[in-house]
Amino acid sequence: MEFREKLESGQFLITVEVAPPRGVSWEETISALKPLKGKVDAFNVTDCQRSMVRMSALSMAKLLLDSGYEPILQLTCRDRNRIALQSDLLGAWTLGIRNLCLMTGDFTTLGDQPDAKPVFDVDSVQLIEIAEKLNSGRLLNGKELNGKTSFLIGAVHNPFAGPEFLQTLKLKKKIEAGARFVQTQPVYELKIAEEVHSLISSLGAVPLIGLLPIKSLKMANFMKRLNPTSIPPSLIDGLERAKDPVLYGWEYTLDLARAVSEFGAGVHFMLVGKVRELADFIDELRNNRREGP
Amino acid sequence: MVTVRLKPVEEIVKSLKPYRKVFVIGCQLGSGRCKNGGLREAFKVAGYLELHGFKISGVKSPGGTCILERLDSSDRSLIKEAESSSDAILSLACGAGTQLIAENVSIPVVTGVNTLFIGVERERKYFDEYCIACGECVISETGGICPVARCPKSLVNGPCGGAIAGKCEVDPSIPCIWYRIENRLRELCSLETLKKRVPLKDYRASVYPRRLVLED
Ligand code: SF4
Ligand code: SF4
Repeated sequence: MEFREKLESGQFLITVEVAPPRGVSWEETISALKPLKGKVDAFNVTDCQRSMVRMSALSMAKLLLDSGYEPILQLTCRDRNRIALQSDLLGAWTLGIRNLCLMTGDFTTLGDQPDAKPVFDVDSVQLIEIAEKLNSGRLLNGKELNGKTSFLIGAVHNPFAGPEFLQTLKLKKKIEAGARFVQTQPVYELKIAEEVHSLISSLGAVPLIGLLPIKSLKMANFMKRLNPTSIPPSLIDGLERAKDPVLYGWEYTLDLARAVSEFGAGVHFMLVGKVRELADFIDELRNNRREGP
Repeated sequence: MVTVRLKPVEEIVKSLKPYRKVFVIGCQLGSGRCKNGGLREAFKVAGYLELHGFKISGVKSPGGTCILERLDSSDRSLIKEAESSSDAILSLACGAGTQLIAENVSIPVVTGVNTLFIGVERERKYFDEYCIACGECVISETGGICPVARCPKSLVNGPCGGAIAGKCEVDPSIPCIWYRIENRLRELCSLETLKKRVPLKDYRASVYPRRLVLED
């Protein structure tokens, strides 16, 4: 079953983020995902995340597809104007890429080419509108295409960003424009996962709760700098006390994933690395769900 | 106003190297207000140039350098004076003023400033970029606060996911302008105006070079 069908039939979804390599050797990136084959519902390919140059997400998505993994292509507004965006979207569809995750993107100065000229010709809401337009068989300018796309469109939402009223308004605009699923920034508290889940579903999209295992106190502090309210004190405490912080962070995340699976529509793991463990966890989760009431 | 920053004097000296007699022109509008290219700075730079062996043939400001009548009128022509007395002109006016000088004289014109942005001044100290002259002004909808110039990503449909605790993702020392916009619209009880999706900008309005022609 394809990702779209699973989403439409209300299955519990598990997606995983994949960063294309920094270079030209891609085989390892793909072979590392092997344990997740058939377990993860889709692989979300990042688009020069944190404004660092990596292999094109479009190429990586195609390589995944060819290796039997269903990709979700991330596309940001940072590096392309409306001409390039439409062109890449048409190319992606032609290559067999069916799922998109559209976002504004990190700013250029935050990455390793801070001297680049940023584009931001369109914003995330408008990019979703563009993809919807292609789905209706037309270019942005209204000209008819020789065949339409039928992308499943996703978006992102950060429950820790503000101002809240405008963040919610923007989320609403994204969903109205055509986003069918919304992936969140990493969440570390059940309460927040529940809140953001109900917000996204109430606006009419399928929420995928973002999960990123914390590996160390240093990483926790880094995350805290990005999103001060995202890391609960109990997590910091736990990491401080843990003999093996990596294991602690991992189990913390799996507990949260288990809890989300009780009520949620899906989770999005923003990691690769512990693929074996993740595969085992997914087996456990799926078995429990099947056996559950 | 247009803001400028004086180039390092070493750089100015280097670009004036081939010349001996230099006329220094400051500008009392933008350059003068931001204390980086007014008459005071023109005199300072001239003094420095003298120390480096240049002969200064004059130091003057026409007021607004980007207005041709100020530079050159029938009773008083600053550029003729500069041209006839010098090998080169050093201009501390913004890029526009300096070009206007350059196209009206036959001697080389060197700029002593980097032209920065259209901004506002506060307490004679702070200069903030407020407008990038996008040609399609949206601020009636955003509480008179410009997200095109004051959000680094020029987002018009609301803040990005990096807007945390009122600070901008790109530079946490500046506010995320969307917090200001929300506050302002709350005061004005018109948050409603942000509910509709803002269409893509027509960037034809900002394709340079642009021209404004006044009707007779
Ligand atoms: S919307 Fe455009 S014209 Fe209006 S203030 Fe902003 S940049 Fe300037
Ligand atoms: S944090 Fe605010 S001002 Fe900064 S880029 Fe994002 S939306 Fe724009």
